[in-house]
Amino acid sequence: MTPETTETKMLPKFIQIHFLAAWPGALLNRDDAGLAKRLPFGTATRTRISSQCLKRHWRMADDRHALHELARRHGVEGVRTKRAIEREVTGPLRDRSFTKEAVDAVELAFLTKFYGKNAKDPQQRQALLFGRPELAWMREQAERILSENPDAAAAKSAAEVWIKEEKANLNQLRDQNVLAASLEAALFGRMVTSDTRANRDAAIHVAHAFTVHPEQAELDYFTVVDDLSRRDQGDDAGAAGVFDTELTSGLYYGYVVVDVPLLVSNLTGCVRGDWAGDHDRALAAQVVEHLVHLVAEVSPGAKKGSTAPYSRAELVLVEAGDRQPRTLANAFRDAVALDDRDTNHSLGHRTAGKLAGYLGQMDRMYETGEARRHAAIDDLALGKDIPNGSIRELATWAGGLVRDAAI
Amino acid sequence: MRHLLLDLDAPLMSFGGDLVDAYGVVRDFPAKSMLAGLLANALGWERHDADAHAALQARIVMGSARVGEGQRQREFQTAQLGANDRGWTTRGRVEGRAGGAETYRSPHIRYRDMDADARVLIAFRLNPAEVAPDLDTLAAALVRPERPLFIGRKPFVPSRPLCCGITEAETIPAALVAGLAMLDAPPPRRDTLRAQWPVGEAPDAALVSGAQEEELTDERHWPSGVHAGLRRVMQGRLHWPEATA
Repeated sequence: MTPETTETKMLPKFIQIHFLAAWPGALLNRDDAGLAKRLPFGTATRTRISSQCLKRHWRMADDRHALHELARRHGVEGVRTKRAIEREVTGPLRDRSFTKEAVDAVELAFLTKFYGKNAKDPQQRQALLFGRPELAWMREQAERILSENPDAAAAKSAAEVWIKEEKANLNQLRDQNVLAASLEAALFGRMVTSDTRANRDAAIHVAHAFTVHPEQAELDYFTVVDDLSRRDQGDDAGAAGVFDTELTSGLYYGYVVVDVPLLVSNLTGCVRGDWAGDHDRALAAQVVEHLVHLVAEVSPGAKKGSTAPYSRAELVLVEAGDRQPRTLANAFRDAVALDDRDTNHSLGHRTAGKLAGYLGQMDRMYETGEARRHAAIDDLALGKDIPNGSIRELATWAGGLVRDAAI
Repeated sequence: MRHLLLDLDAPLMSFGGDLVDAYGVVRDFPAKSMLAGLLANALGWERHDADAHAALQARIVMGSARVGEGQRQREFQTAQLGANDRGWTTRGRVEGRAGGAETYRSPHIRYRDMDADARVLIAFRLNPAEVAPDLDTLAAALVRPERPLFIGRKPFVPSRPLCCGITEAETIPAALVAGLAMLDAPPPRRDTLRAQWPVGEAPDAALVSGAQEEELTDERHWPSGVHAGLRRVMQGRLHWPEATA
């Protein structure tokens, strides 16, 4: 195996996002007993946030980097994705023995079904994002209709009959692919039916985040005071309830990997192996940019009103490459000590140091040569070998990798 | 015979067993279907390439050892299902959810078992060995997979490269023992490890002890998507070899 250490040769097939974020005094993710989720790992038990919990908050985020915000903007700007039927359904059938008129007739029937009266002008079409399963199936159906009806008039009426017969299914297919829903499905997947050909796999894998140090939990005792009670009228002292709840504090390591070929396939309908070909990757690039922001800025968690767990990540490291993605979790298998009297360095500083040291060792051993950038506050910066900038610069770089990828 | 070794290491991993109702239990050793699926994923095969998956699964002769026992954990999950969740299908019909209004009144509760902090070594060969994909193709696919790999469930991403190397060995237990010496950053050594291997391999008492036969249903019938059949395996303890100075 030859080591590949130069950034130019790197294919950004996998974008790996690592983060360190601290949430003090919060209950981010709890089990059925109401206690914080935990993870025994290496030398200590940690507090844990499940992938389901993290993904839900990234999915539901309502800020300028929210996916629905991207959908709103792209719905106006994106044009190429509105031509999916011409490009991917009927386009490939034009090289075949079918007559142009027959293919035109079937194409118009499909376009009219999905885009209604505005079908003829791509600019006017409603923004639908068909994924690979949808386009592959539509192409199969178009091909079948054309094979059975070589004559243009027959093809036209056969397409119309089929569309009428399949009305409910085709309406469902259209409704599932409105832009905002599609962006969500492209990233987080959609598994509603038993049909493996129709479902869409998630383009990201999200590991459970866990504290780099032993769990730090505190049972928070609280009472509810009844403001309306009047002792002069014989009411009692006023405690209307006595409760306790577990709060935890922690510096969490989290990891996400984006399957870039699948993301591009989910958003353009291309075959995944052809992801770096001539497809409009602008939207996939923007999705990655937004994801870097969401990972850095969106807090998971319950009890938001009483604990305000609105921290942001203090270190985000992004790697791009084509070698097998792996977390850097083992950097913290020996739990990071909560204090260190020898150096007096902060927990964050020592944690970032462990991460950098571990990464260096893995590099020496496996020579994987991923391209890397990071964004970190001064105390957690990873050293000069990995360029350090703002989250915006990091996100732009990650998005650019997707946009400019070429095989 | 050449065997490929896989070093499964992750904070969380799961080897799915028989799901009953809301309880997703796990087994101690990876299923043959999981290994087939993992390799197919590395090769970039599509989920619905049932014939290819079935053919690969049929060629796998495998065993595994628990290098790090870890701790079994039960994950509690809730999922909000909607009576109106629907999906189009390639069968031409819309598929939805069944059940009365009460079904959707509260979130769906699920329990999923998993192993925290475990480490498992897999050794496998292909029979016949010459047919495509061969072991070298699979090893290369693991190093540069077509998709991100995971150990059991999607969030359970590995924390090191899975491909540990290829070794020559006569039996699966012998391949596992050879694999122990190839591990990067091996855990503290123990005299014996729990292991599973095919029936009829390694009667050698220097390698294994306490072997008992088990029957498993861990092969997937890929066209129908369910597990079927019965596979007989041996479970026992594998002896960690003395270091040769």
